[in-house]
Amino acid sequence: MPLIETTSLTKAYPGGVTALRDLTLAVEPGVIGLVGANGAGKSTMIKILLGLLEPTEGSVRVLGLDPTVAADEVRARVGYMPEHDCLPPDMIAAEFVTHMARMSGLPPTAARERASEALRHVGLYEERYRPIGGYSTGMKQRVKLAQALVHDPDLLLLDEPTNGLDPAGRDAMLTLITKIGTEFGISVVVCTHLLGEVERICDTLIAIERGHLLRADRVDAMTTGYDVLVVEVTEGTDELIAALRARDLSLTVDGHVLLVRLDAEDTYDTILRTVADLDLPLHRLDQRRHRVAELFADSSTTTTRPEAHHV
Amino acid sequence: MTTPLTVDLRGVSRWYGNVVAVNDITMSLGAGVTGLLGPNGAGKTTLLHMMAGFLAPSKGEVLLGGNPTWRNPDVYRDLGLVAERESVPAHLTGWEFVHASAKLHGLADPAGAARRALELVEMTEAAGRRLGTYSKGMRQRARVAASLVHDPAVLLLDEPFNGMDPRQRAHMMELLHSLGDQGRTILFSSHILEEVEQVSGTVQVIVNGRLAASGDFRKIRRLMTHRPHVFVIRSTDDRRLATALIASPAVTGVSLGAEELTVHAGDYGTFTRALPKVALAEGIRVRQLVPSDESLESVFAYLVSA
Amino acid sequence: MSEAVDTGGSRIHDIGYRRYEGTNLGRLYVARSLYTHGLRSAFGLGRSAKAKIFPWIMVGLLGAFAVVVAAVRAQTGEMIVGYQEFQQVARVIVIIFLAVVAPELVSRDLRNKTLPLYFSRPLRRTDYALAKLAAVISAVFLLVAGPLTIVGAAAAFSVADVSGVWAEVRGLLGGYTMIAVLAVIHGSIALLIASLASKRAFAAGAIAAVFLVLVPIAQIPHELAHGAIGQLSLMISPDGMVDGLQEFLFGKGDANLEPGYRIYYGVGAVALVAAVVTALITRYRKVSL
Repeated sequence: MPLIETTSLTKAYPGGVTALRDLTLAVEPGVIGLVGANGAGKSTMIKILLGLLEPTEGSVRVLGLDPTVAADEVRARVGYMPEHDCLPPDMIAAEFVTHMARMSGLPPTAARERASEALRHVGLYEERYRPIGGYSTGMKQRVKLAQALVHDPDLLLLDEPTNGLDPAGRDAMLTLITKIGTEFGISVVVCTHLLGEVERICDTLIAIERGHLLRADRVDAMTTGYDVLVVEVTEGTDELIAALRARDLSLTVDGHVLLVRLDAEDTYDTILRTVADLDLPLHRLDQRRHRVAELFADSSTTTTRPEAHHV
Repeated sequence: MTTPLTVDLRGVSRWYGNVVAVNDITMSLGAGVTGLLGPNGAGKTTLLHMMAGFLAPSKGEVLLGGNPTWRNPDVYRDLGLVAERESVPAHLTGWEFVHASAKLHGLADPAGAARRALELVEMTEAAGRRLGTYSKGMRQRARVAASLVHDPAVLLLDEPFNGMDPRQRAHMMELLHSLGDQGRTILFSSHILEEVEQVSGTVQVIVNGRLAASGDFRKIRRLMTHRPHVFVIRSTDDRRLATALIASPAVTGVSLGAEELTVHAGDYGTFTRALPKVALAEGIRVRQLVPSDESLESVFAYLVSA
Repeated sequence: MSEAVDTGGSRIHDIGYRRYEGTNLGRLYVARSLYTHGLRSAFGLGRSAKAKIFPWIMVGLLGAFAVVVAAVRAQTGEMIVGYQEFQQVARVIVIIFLAVVAPELVSRDLRNKTLPLYFSRPLRRTDYALAKLAAVISAVFLLVAGPLTIVGAAAAFSVADVSGVWAEVRGLLGGYTMIAVLAVIHGSIALLIASLASKRAFAAGAIAAVFLVLVPIAQIPHELAHGAIGQLSLMISPDGMVDGLQEFLFGKGDANLEPGYRIYYGVGAVALVAAVVTALITRYRKVSL
């Protein structure tokens, strides 16, 4: 059963702004990246998934349920981590997460226990007994994640979870999300602007642009290899170019890197032998891969026809 | 723009009571695009504000084209600043906004300057609409145009990519590069490495107010000789290759994963020359050799923990 | 992490993520939890020591007054303030209490933008509004009824016979009724005002202003004008509405209304509360996240 399914989903606000246009997609459980669509599109999508907004046209199903009809049920099975600051500074983290657990219908004892576990899983230890007001951004993000996780949802909606985090904090958060998606068995939708993050942790990508579906596909389908090898040496690049051409390899140059056409398996060996013969320091040998960023690199003439993509 | 100008910092410090925001920084920025990198609170904004003449250094000198930026209104003829959080008046059109900036600069031909600035950022068509209707990326570009009306040789941008989606970011990156290619000195700050990696290989890394490193980040990595370089290799026989490699004094460690081999090479130069030969001698085909700690993120992590 | 056990009985326990298989108690439980949370928070329970100072000072003041009333009653047999009149004396304290507590209950959630976390859960917006309303009404009720109970208890003990005790109990119940009226009318208005302001200071000021400013506006026509206007003008202020309602329910009170007009206060009170509660629910239905 698809995790999220939409059919011609459209949302137009009074005043003329159309945030989502004719979106049709179906994504399987896993870690899903939701990219693009700054402003109106992404938050609209989240609110519709949570049943907080009704579509103008079209339909949507989350975990097989229709949020316009069974909003309570959907929300019981979904956890939401907003992008903005939403925590009360004068409350102690452990109490806040416990309170939120009860707000999800957990009995008092279970609420307390699961809150404690959720805080442990997100990596908050003694800090949890202090008021949230004194927390760093990274710690606040973790509390937000804990309250989204505490009622054991089947789907997490994380809106820019690495916002405001420095590289170490970002790394920790991405590792945590991956752990949730793989070990805990909970599907995650991550809204982000950073395609590096998507390539790193997501199985599937949904890209929305100006309300339209730009692409919905598996990430590994979008990062397939070319029949081209990337070769980089820290010295003697020109010599290497000449020598490889002399061995009938066809190649082009991109900055300090060589792109060699992969004609046959022994191309690898030829390259290695040539480098060894010339006694050059080999820095990189790799198959060139497509990058998710290519989706956005085109000029403004790109508007993909909205077609159904089942991933 | 007449001639390229250099921004020079010499032994610059800035403190607020006991809080040292910037600690003894010396750097020189020339034409082209440079990324000012550092964790939140590292001192990037303070540095930019000193370069823009809004703050005086507590110690040292901040010079633009040889002249101090503090208490020197002339410097604004050559300097444009796009600050981090600035709200733009939503009721003005793009044209009106940039035109107003041109008039504020006291230019002789404000309309002409505004037009040129809008062309530079490729916003001529959208200029007729109100700023309130713009996307985030377009608003940023309008602000860049407003800061370019007087054709400054130096442009400073504080976190310009904040919150932009990939396409907006790509456009802004292109814009900055083209401005840099014109000979302008462009400095932008960021705490998101992914953004910086693609714009320029030249960075200035600030950690806790100190300048931790400068230059091309790939070269910076290679300068860290005390840290073994980490490579990931995939071959037709990883285990045999690992055994052969560990015999070399250039290799300090090998680690076998499910599908790949990770090598820690203490001596970069020797290892990179030795690997092809070792593999060939063993009759092993190497399909992938990738340096795994060369990304800006790894370089950064090393610098922060230094 | 899977469990690992050796034959000797040593084991590594699995403390990985556990799924929740237990019960989910539904909307009523959630609303009740929110109500309890609000009520406790009004009296500073479950919060820092600083948060307890204000509410308990209020309780202390009314309690002290109640003790005085009880003592005088015990000594002289006279009630300085009757059961139903107790809430009149308490009004200033109630208004100050509401000016602080109502914003704490709702303005904070607005200011901190915590509402999306509530509304992305099975809790409905209406449930939220009503739970908060119930909490503020209960808080005001406890604030005043608690001290009044001291008076009633002391009086009951000082009376000679059973029928005397029964009279005291009836009086006490009458007092509770009026306190409940006060709690409902004042509490709902204060909460509505607070729900419109995200800054606690503004909300507090607005509440104080509404309650205090309207008093003379209601009183003056009542003193000066004759006929319908003079009789009905008290409805303009919440205090006046309570006074008028007291006369409607009990036939005597401070409002000095002509008997024919008392029923308007009965109807008016119900209409006012209905309107305020509807506005409160609408406010939360419409608030954007």
